[in-house]
Amino acid sequence: MPVPARITAVRTLTELEKLYTIELPYGLTLDHDPGQFVQVSLFGVGEAPISICSSPSRSNGLFELCVRNVGDLTSKMHALNVGDTLGIRGPFGRGFPMERFRGKDVVFIAGGLGLAPLRSVIYEAIDHREKYNRLVILYGARSPQEMLFRDEVNAFNWMDDVEMFSTVDRGDEKWRGHVGFVNSLLNQVHLNPHNTVAIVCGPPVMYQFIIDDLIRLGVAEHDIWLSFERHMKCGVGKCGHCQINHIYACLDGPSLSYTEIKNLEEAL
Amino acid sequence: MSNLKTIPKTALNEWVQRLRRRFRVVGPRPKNGQFVFAEIETAVEMALDYPTTCMPPKKYLFPPQETLLRYHLDGSHIQAVIETEPTVIFGIHTCDVQATRLFDQIFSQGFADQHYRARREDIYLISIECMAPCTEHAYCHDMGTSHLPEAADLHLTDVGQMYVVHVNTPKGESLLADTLAEPFTADWQPIYDRVIAKKMEAFEKRLDFEVTELKELLRDGYSSPLWQDVGDDCLVCGMCTQVCPTCVCFNMEDEADLTQTEGQRTRTWDSCQATTFALVAGGHNFREARMARQRHRFMRKGKYMHDAYGLLGCVGCGRCGSTCLVNITPIKVLNALYQEQHAEQIESDVPEMELSYEDVTARSAGVAVDLHAGACENNGRTHPH
Amino acid sequence: MSGTVNELPRVAFFDFTSCEGCQLTVLDALQTHPELLKVVNIVEFREASSARSEDYQIAFIEGSCTRPGDEERLRKIRETAVYVIALGACAHLGGINAIRNRQPLLDVRQYVYGDKAEWYDTYPARAIDQVIQVDAVIPGCPIDRDEFVRVVTVLLQGRQPKLPDYPMCIECKLHENICVYERGQVCLGPITRAGCNAICPAYGYGCEGCRGLVSAPNMESFQEVLAQHGLSQAEIDEKLSLFLTNQTLLEKELVHG
Repeated sequence: MPVPARITAVRTLTELEKLYTIELPYGLTLDHDPGQFVQVSLFGVGEAPISICSSPSRSNGLFELCVRNVGDLTSKMHALNVGDTLGIRGPFGRGFPMERFRGKDVVFIAGGLGLAPLRSVIYEAIDHREKYNRLVILYGARSPQEMLFRDEVNAFNWMDDVEMFSTVDRGDEKWRGHVGFVNSLLNQVHLNPHNTVAIVCGPPVMYQFIIDDLIRLGVAEHDIWLSFERHMKCGVGKCGHCQINHIYACLDGPSLSYTEIKNLEEAL
Repeated sequence: MSNLKTIPKTALNEWVQRLRRRFRVVGPRPKNGQFVFAEIETAVEMALDYPTTCMPPKKYLFPPQETLLRYHLDGSHIQAVIETEPTVIFGIHTCDVQATRLFDQIFSQGFADQHYRARREDIYLISIECMAPCTEHAYCHDMGTSHLPEAADLHLTDVGQMYVVHVNTPKGESLLADTLAEPFTADWQPIYDRVIAKKMEAFEKRLDFEVTELKELLRDGYSSPLWQDVGDDCLVCGMCTQVCPTCVCFNMEDEADLTQTEGQRTRTWDSCQATTFALVAGGHNFREARMARQRHRFMRKGKYMHDAYGLLGCVGCGRCGSTCLVNITPIKVLNALYQEQHAEQIESDVPEMELSYEDVTARSAGVAVDLHAGACENNGRTHPH
Repeated sequence: MSGTVNELPRVAFFDFTSCEGCQLTVLDALQTHPELLKVVNIVEFREASSARSEDYQIAFIEGSCTRPGDEERLRKIRETAVYVIALGACAHLGGINAIRNRQPLLDVRQYVYGDKAEWYDTYPARAIDQVIQVDAVIPGCPIDRDEFVRVVTVLLQGRQPKLPDYPMCIECKLHENICVYERGQVCLGPITRAGCNAICPAYGYGCEGCRGLVSAPNMESFQEVLAQHGLSQAEIDEKLSLFLTNQTLLEKELVHG
């Protein structure tokens, strides 16, 4: 059953995306793992799965959701303001196995809105910086205007122990950075494939390209981690909508390694 | 181990009347030339020797539409809705009982579903032994569900003037008013055994393979060209999933009242055959092709459900085959898949035989028809070198 | 949401070539759901009132576009309304008016109007969205009363109404109707959008497809089913053109007078 949660802050990120800070009632905390999602209810409208984009290490009792206005529910969500109530169920699904990434070079590869779920993992890694070797963030957006969390991306740029690379598919007159798809950044990173884990999230079309490139560079299949978006209704492995062959994206995912899905025709 | 009793058929109506004081009593009854599970007031309305019903009794355990929550649109007054009514389902076939076991597993494992579980608690199952396959599409015997006397709360076997009753659970026990049930004496045993033996003779094997081979058959047949044929024929009408006793996929929707003050969340049956089932908000459809949707149905029934819940998602009731307008029946599809693999098996078993070009093309062309015969014939015609 | 009448969303009903049966269903809905009048202000509705208005936010249009003069009126409605909703099969699909699209127009005019055929400037019947942009559709011949109320509810939330996108067979099975094919007749249920509660099969008639095609129907296989049940190609074409002419006939096959 959803609990009524309060919106405590709304920040407009781009024309399409807004960032919501949400507080659960009765002093409840979400206690999520990076990479998990919640089911968000708008009462009288419906419910949809949304990735948690804040890190548990910085929760402060609140959590954040980055919402793109793409459908019925999200467009109604964009009309909400501070103080409004929405329903929350979760957290659900399997987050990224952070313990497995210990001592590794962690490469985050985000396309478009894919930066939102990865943001929870990125901060988790930065806040436990000593556990990991290199931290590399590759972020591709369609255009400079569509880049999410620009201030934070800038801050990553200035961090000594984080390597931040951004690209856009199409630049504009002010853009001085890299132009091209996100996989084109991989060549700039000089990966040590034997000690690299890649964490990938983006639109469905992006995955196969990135995976092919990573494998070509020598990254092991079990070190490529992906976050899957699917149509979901229940979030708890019953309704059948999110099934990828035998796997339930809501229970076994949304974070899955390439090894787990490479033979599944319905995955990519 | 169940406890056995007998009930004279003449006492059936009295039993139903007594049950009706405490329960809604549901049974198979005729409607427009077919049979449906519906409420009954007297035993006469029931046709306990019915072949099969249009819809399985699943509709009582998991209604096609149910309200899960009611709330005010401002997010206050959120209340779970648990709708349940004490119900006895009379005359459920053992295949459908097996489907109930699967549902119990699905809604108890992991995140338990309070709506289902509360309703299930209030439902009492009285199954009946089938004496012959109900339709040409039923293959319960192959699926091991044609004789499950200990699965429901009570199980009836028609032995002439009497029903032999397997009393399997305390719930079942509570349904039997002692005055009606009589002891199962030693005299009844040979009579019961004869009835069951005769029943077993009436059921022939309809699948070309053993149920234990089903998972591997589907795993190995995932890329079979046969699915394309199935997809070409499929009307995507969704009737197969609608009549299935094990289909569990659902949709959830919220709605507000006209004055925008209160609302509710409902759960309705959904179908993996629907075009939009795997469509995400960005517009990508992860199972768009008809062939992929039909294949998913078969994989889910014969493999994925077993992987997840330890029980097969098909009980062999044959309803999907009977209802399909383009004759996509599990018996036909699964046997064709088996024959296809079996033919390949024979082919790979005889590497030492060199086939002429004509033989090879004839064989690959013949895959869709009678593969076993085709392969043997080819072997006979092989030129010895 | 409810307030004084003047604050409520202003709703108008318009009719084009149709029998006005869908608007009668709306009148019916006003009786079963009188609260409708607490949430909208109906400013024009010829079936119920003589009031007229050129100021409205939601326009419901019944009927198809069948004359050049209809286009101007439709464009005016589109310019005025925030939401334009096609009401019923004629507005949604062209309706049964579109049967004539399969025949030479002059023959049709002569058949209907005799020696006055030249007086009428009718042309092939079109759905409203073939002329102006339509925001939502309430299908059916006539519309379903409850669906009308649901669509109004969703519109008042500022949302896009969604129609069921699965075939009618799904609803028909829920009602445990005997399949029309089992009775030796044919039915368009497998290719028709659900939402009517399978009312025709429930009364023993095959579906005629008044709610239009479901997304991505398997027309090829379906036509084979019709043929197996004894329909000739001409009969199949006829079956598919009571309501579905504009959805099933290619543009090139439409006969322009």
